[in-house]
Amino acid sequence: MILALTLRQLVGRRPALLMVAFAALPILVAIIFRVADPDVSPERWAANDLLKGLIVTVFLPLSTLIFGTMALGSEIEDGTAVYLLSKPLPRSQVISAKLAAAWLPAVVLLLLSTEISAAIALQGTGGSSILVGFTVAIALGSFAYCCVFVLLSVLTSHALIAGLIYVFLWEGVVTELFSGTRIFSVRQYTLGVADLIAGTSDRTFEANLGGVPALVLMAVVSVAAVGVAIRRLSRFEVRGAA
Amino acid sequence: MANQVERAAGSIYDLGYRSYEGARLGRWHAITSVYTHSLRGVFGLGRHHSSKIIPFGLAIITLLPAVVQVGFVALAEETVDVLRPDDYYEFIQWPLALFVAAVAPELVGRDQRNRTLSLYFSRALLRSDYVVAKVAALATALLILMLVPQTAVFLGNALGSDDSLGYLRDNWKDIAPIVASGALLSLFMASVALAIGSQTSRWQLASGGVIAYFAITFVIASILVHTLETGPPRYAFLFSGFHVMRGLTLWVFGVEPTLAFEGDDGTLANDLALADVALILYALAAAVTVIVALLVLYRRYRRMAL
Amino acid sequence: MARAEPRPMSSPVAAPTPAIDLVNASRWYGNVVAVNNISFTVGPGITGLLGPNGAGKSTILHMLAGFLKPSSGTVDLLGGSAWRNPEIYRYVGLVPEREAVYPFLTGYEFVLLSARLHKLPDPREAATRAIRTVDMEDAQHRAAGGYSKGMKQRLKFAAAIVHDPPVLLLDEPFNGADPRQRLQMMDLLRAMAAEGRTIVFSSHILEEVERLADNVLVIVAGRLAASGDFREIRRLMTDRPHTFTLRSGDNRRLASALVADPSVLGIELVDDRLSVRASDFRGFALAAPRVARESGVTLFEFLPTDESLESVFSYLVER
Repeated sequence: MILALTLRQLVGRRPALLMVAFAALPILVAIIFRVADPDVSPERWAANDLLKGLIVTVFLPLSTLIFGTMALGSEIEDGTAVYLLSKPLPRSQVISAKLAAAWLPAVVLLLLSTEISAAIALQGTGGSSILVGFTVAIALGSFAYCCVFVLLSVLTSHALIAGLIYVFLWEGVVTELFSGTRIFSVRQYTLGVADLIAGTSDRTFEANLGGVPALVLMAVVSVAAVGVAIRRLSRFEVRGAA
Repeated sequence: MANQVERAAGSIYDLGYRSYEGARLGRWHAITSVYTHSLRGVFGLGRHHSSKIIPFGLAIITLLPAVVQVGFVALAEETVDVLRPDDYYEFIQWPLALFVAAVAPELVGRDQRNRTLSLYFSRALLRSDYVVAKVAALATALLILMLVPQTAVFLGNALGSDDSLGYLRDNWKDIAPIVASGALLSLFMASVALAIGSQTSRWQLASGGVIAYFAITFVIASILVHTLETGPPRYAFLFSGFHVMRGLTLWVFGVEPTLAFEGDDGTLANDLALADVALILYALAAAVTVIVALLVLYRRYRRMAL
Repeated sequence: MARAEPRPMSSPVAAPTPAIDLVNASRWYGNVVAVNNISFTVGPGITGLLGPNGAGKSTILHMLAGFLKPSSGTVDLLGGSAWRNPEIYRYVGLVPEREAVYPFLTGYEFVLLSARLHKLPDPREAATRAIRTVDMEDAQHRAAGGYSKGMKQRLKFAAAIVHDPPVLLLDEPFNGADPRQRLQMMDLLRAMAAEGRTIVFSSHILEEVERLADNVLVIVAGRLAASGDFREIRRLMTDRPHTFTLRSGDNRRLASALVADPSVLGIELVDDRLSVRASDFRGFALAAPRVARESGVTLFEFLPTDESLESVFSYLVER
């Protein structure tokens, strides 16, 4: 029920249309690629530019960020969280419902975008393993991102900005510069999983993290984030007027 | 209420309600008040400490490259131009974008959410005045963020070189472009961010939208130009916030972008060289974007039911 | 703090007494002490938390409801702590102060949601019943975003009573209610209290507390300034003279006779009445009719004039 309630909240009319429009952009790019037919191997382009550069680097974090921080964050902010919390429900149930409500729309949009755009770009080539690899990676990566962002929304009211800074400064700049920090980047996990499953040659696509470490880290981060979120929510305090 | 009663040598004073007989400052004062208040609000001054962390944090990040450059100069004992003035904005473009994304909902979303707009507009303040004041405030904040590090680098270079006056003599021509580009870029980012941010009172969507604009246009334009090097897609950069900013800066400085030896060094200047589009078009694209953004922003407030 | 399981209820409205028990509860935020060493017990009936804004009433209610952890001391609700104990909400209904409700749900859907989240066996029936109780049947299928303030308040109330809780906590429940709605809600609360429920509500409006509460807890600056029936509190305030208003056949003669009585501190002639300040409530109440009879004056009216909660309250606040 909380799931249904939150979904209704998140997938309101105007934002939903915008989201769909955004999800269509990679598809457009793929079409342009197809039409222009440049002198680049489609597999390489699809893996590096379309899937890694556009979807995993920008669309994946942005959509999970928005859904993830709004799922619980908007209720905490406007005070309606009290209604959910003053019920005999274990906090783990609340968190998992919110997490599912954030993950479902994000993953649906992302996968639609991924499948269609990649299918267009890779049409006729044997690059289906790339498609499969990135599909699995994005499905798992979006879950991991959602866990982290739901946790952020429980921890702070500035969850969205914190998330943006994490994605664009930490993952975007710091982990590019200092390779040791890559173990703290969900983006790298996602790419690692994609590389593992796609199994392409390094010339086509190469991730920075090995596949198995990526999977393990992803699982660890997700579980830890959810655990901390549940703990924090069970100690939820209302600061207010006297 | 006690009235004026005189008794022997004593008096009782009327402490009741009084009407205001003083000067009434007009519209200009209202505009400057909104401006100052917004500017202070951007940096979280006059608010709880937690709202200062992010603006100041990001501001410090914009200073980091300058610190590195000045550090180099101090240690290396010769002017090493790690950063040219027109390069600088590219280095800090992400922190700047994050800054406007963080701050835009604060400026335009908060008033919408708390429904305090009717307080503003039942004064000597037109809707256009409000818009102008808000854009000016954010642009000023951005200008500070852009010029402080530039000044630090300039002065650092000057003081660190063996011949400070010589350095000034050679490079004073840079000052005007630095300030001009800073001002234009601030105006650009401010108007775009506020146009997007004002569309919704939910500030997650506002912040997300601003970053989405910069990030998505940047990546898509990059992909298009890098993959399809010739033909119409070259003009894709005209739609990308960051690229327009870079092109505008280069135009102001009168510098043509050149291709790096290895083909792609990842910088925007290189991207622009690849696209090989006349720089003045970027300046025009910036102007058009600003005008459209301001119109969108104005329209939003004009049609808003209070 | 022992975490006891709430004891099984023998009937939906029975509760172990006392239902609420605070012992030396305090809550501070850094240097600011919001609630300062407060102890009280609350049993069935209606108890009002009265205090100026900023006194700590909401803080106390939030601690009771399990949404704030006491910095020290214990806060017991139904024998256990509400902190980190979601199961206790089966027996507690909470009406929070903040106005927000889910704007896209209809009134009925909102109460139904509450019923379902409480895992009631027949949520629809419970929701319908709750809505009927608060008299919102006409508006129940409209989106809650369009409700007036008073309607939202009643909606929150319906959602809070849908599971028939023995304990009800209300934070400033009459905010924004028009007089008619307020009267209806007061009647409703009285009826619920008569069934044996424990009801605690906070308010800074004296009139509401005076009219509704059997028992008053006056909170001033984080401390418990007084508790109990407000009339009794007044009588305990011996360092402040009581005032009475008397009307008689011959006020001046009565006045000069009364001045002789040791319990009288001062008398004033105001229009056609006597305003008497006495140090001892009981003593004067007994003496006045006697004095009147002895002076041959007929006593038409005898009123203690500062027994209002307002005078009690202003005294306590200024202390």
